[in-house]
Amino acid sequence: MNRKTHRVKWSGLLDLTQSISGILLAIFLWVHLCLVASILLGAEAMQWVAKTMELSFLSADGHGYPWVVTVMAVLIGVLILLHVLVALHKLPLTLKQQRALNKQMHVIPHEDTKLWRWQAITGVIVLLAAPVHLWLVGAAPETIGPYGSADRIWNQGGWLLYVPLLLAVELHAAVGIYRVVLKWGLAGDDMTRIQLRKAKSIASAIFILVGLASLVAFMPHAS
Amino acid sequence: MNQQTTSMSPENASGRLLNFHIFRYDPQQKGDKPRTEVYQLRETPGMTIFIALNQIRQQQDPSLQFDFVCRAGICGSCAMVINGLPTLACRTLTSKFKQGDITLMPLPGFELIGDLSVDTGKFMRELAERLKLWLHPHHHEIDVHSIEAPMAPEQAAALYELERCVECGVCVSACATKQMRETFVGAVGMMKIARFELDSRDGRTAEDFYHVIGNQDGVFGCMTLLGCQDNCPKDLPHMQQIAYLRRKMAATIL
Ligand code: HEM
Ligand code: SF4
Ligand code: FES
Repeated sequence: MNRKTHRVKWSGLLDLTQSISGILLAIFLWVHLCLVASILLGAEAMQWVAKTMELSFLSADGHGYPWVVTVMAVLIGVLILLHVLVALHKLPLTLKQQRALNKQMHVIPHEDTKLWRWQAITGVIVLLAAPVHLWLVGAAPETIGPYGSADRIWNQGGWLLYVPLLLAVELHAAVGIYRVVLKWGLAGDDMTRIQLRKAKSIASAIFILVGLASLVAFMPHAS
Repeated sequence: MNQQTTSMSPENASGRLLNFHIFRYDPQQKGDKPRTEVYQLRETPGMTIFIALNQIRQQQDPSLQFDFVCRAGICGSCAMVINGLPTLACRTLTSKFKQGDITLMPLPGFELIGDLSVDTGKFMRELAERLKLWLHPHHHEIDVHSIEAPMAPEQAAALYELERCVECGVCVSACATKQMRETFVGAVGMMKIARFELDSRDGRTAEDFYHVIGNQDGVFGCMTLLGCQDNCPKDLPHMQQIAYLRRKMAATIL
């Protein structure tokens, strides 16, 4: 038997992990935003979405199981953890590397490299803000709804967390998907690349607008 | 960096006046400090950066160091950073720069010989030895009487496409990943691995290549910043080839 074939190919596995966890997180992120955006249709709409997400249709009394939200929060937390473990190998962690990156951007200001730097910066912001968000909703899942959420966002200062998180994560995820497509060769030529870049910018812009609009839409429900 | 002007007012005016801001530093000279010097030159029709540099050296400053051999985009020795874009000096027309200000820097990431001259040769040689960038035939014993196996024209064309690399080092200097991690192989190494991977005469398997570039200094360390793809003066398909290798290498896990 060839011993080499038994060695775990960590580098390849980690790279795949980064892409797969990134894609899953992005899908979750965009679905999650659409669900939250139900507040734009009014309090009843969001109430219904929140209940349905707690699987109210499965429980006899129609109240559902708020702990489902807690389970989701833990799952997303684990995905982020996996994703960050690989990202740590790529982020410039030492002063020497940060200096090298800055100098490079100064000598050769290349567009897609700037994009990556934004992805790294927004990634770190998400890393700081997302766990707080996950903790807030994961620990009190029963409060999610038009009134509870509005209270959290506008009376308890939640918006201070959510605005930067929204901006950072929507930029990060769109650039991330763009990068996944390019790094695995799913876009053949430079033409598709230019179109993809445009698509990812539009996606970021739309999701940020919808997200901000949703935050504003909670305001009337915060008494 | 301190600015220093060594200008001569050029006579027989016809073209516009160009200002060259050139990085100067001679590591061999004790006490020398990196600085930018400004040279002025009248533009002539069809002037390239290569022609301009030769005129500056001839007429203004014989100590200016830069490399060139073929002045036709073939030898790859004249690469430098021109107004923030790494490329070949002999293939860059001064007329491209509407402002008339041209900043020249040596390629980052290589050993500096002096001013605009860097040692790409040493890098390329070490790379070739590290990645074993030569053909490894299926059979080691050579039989001069055996007839060479034919190669499909499509494969020959694909190989020829990748063989166009002139080893100028632009893709290495344009890569921020490489600047942050010295041990990263860089695009040119991966392009050459892809070239042998495609070659039906090469006996190495995907598994063999995994041992060479299936790591974070190789294809899995590439962050797809695409400085290589966007600056290669030969327009080689780095994005495609590196993605191809990434898929190949990832497939060996399954
Ligand atoms: C909901 C949250 C997140 C989403 C949707 C997301 C999405 C993505 C995607 C799709 C990619 C591309 C994957 C790839 O290159 O293979 C990516 C890359 C990256 N992510 Fe995230 N991510 C999230 C959170 C984070 C966090 C918390 C960090 C913290 C540091 C982070 C840091 C990075 C970095 C540095 C890269 C670039 C990796 C590279 O250059 O190869 N991400 N992300
Ligand atoms: S791949 Fe292009 S940029 Fe890189 S060394 Fe070869 S010719 Fe130069
Ligand atoms: S002098 Fe040979 S490529 Fe420019």
